[in-house]
Amino acid sequence: MSVWLAIAASGVVTYLTRALPLVLTMPGSAPARLRRYLDALPTAIIAALAGAGIAVPDAHPTGGAEVLAALLALAVAAWRRNLLFAVIAGVAAVAALRAAGL
Amino acid sequence: MTGRRAAIVEGWPIFVTAVVVGIAFGLTARQAGLSIVETSATSLIVFAGAAQFVMVDLLRNGTPVPLIVLTVLLLNARHLLMAAALRPFVQVASLPRRFGLAYVLTDEAFAMGIGWFRRGHRDLAYYAVFSTVLWCSWNVGTLLGAIFGAGVEDPQRFGIDFAITAVFVAIVAIGVRHRADAAVALVAALVAAALRLAGASAVAVVVAGALAPLVAFAMRDEQP
Repeated sequence: MSVWLAIAASGVVTYLTRALPLVLTMPGSAPARLRRYLDALPTAIIAALAGAGIAVPDAHPTGGAEVLAALLALAVAAWRRNLLFAVIAGVAAVAALRAAGL
Repeated sequence: MTGRRAAIVEGWPIFVTAVVVGIAFGLTARQAGLSIVETSATSLIVFAGAAQFVMVDLLRNGTPVPLIVLTVLLLNARHLLMAAALRPFVQVASLPRRFGLAYVLTDEAFAMGIGWFRRGHRDLAYYAVFSTVLWCSWNVGTLLGAIFGAGVEDPQRFGIDFAITAVFVAIVAIGVRHRADAAVALVAALVAAALRLAGASAVAVVVAGALAPLVAFAMRDEQP
């Protein structure tokens, strides 16, 4: 039940962020500071998710495999600018490091 | 080239990526315990790549629904800016059509659509076709991943459970444009990690995500 509530409510708030500026007339433009804050928000939230997932992958603090695999994924993403390559590298690395006992 | 045709010719690598990442989403959602119907409904109703991975991750961790919705709202608040930037071009459309065009607004559709308008075009066909095909690609991928995703056994052994975190790392690494971005990302990751290690799992992401952008103000002298 809470899954459906989360899907429906997330759908509504997401749609509102997309539709309101297209159908409402807004006086002037947003203040520069607000624009800057909104501009940085997605990066911050996604990075926060990454940090939380690396630190505590599965109810237990990381043994180090996730930290090293994340650094590899980061390097591949920065180098190739390709989401898929980076994810494959990260997943393969974490599987190998876990197999090695980290 | 007409807008309709250009959208397909220029957009196809992004459509392929959407199918592949959609499969990854379907797979991840099923591993997190969502049914096939719930997984597809997420892509049909929410239709926001990063936010959907976030939802699944938070649901898996038992985060209360209000916090999940708040996180999604903060994450998607950027659409307000994109929609505001598109408004001058979309204004010619009827109100119902604007409601439809808003539904398929994504980071990719915004970037490609604005690119078309900046080349001097004024027709909406490019944006409409690109974003609609992207919507189809994402939902086809999701359904494929959801159907075949549950067949993977022992996902930890293959590191499948880490895929979602790797997606977040890669999105940040590819999206960082300047030093302020990198600083915001680093602070957010460290604060969220510390909060989750300290046991504050439910609020870790939303608190770290809402506070870290303030770091950008400290670095405001530097322009992108």
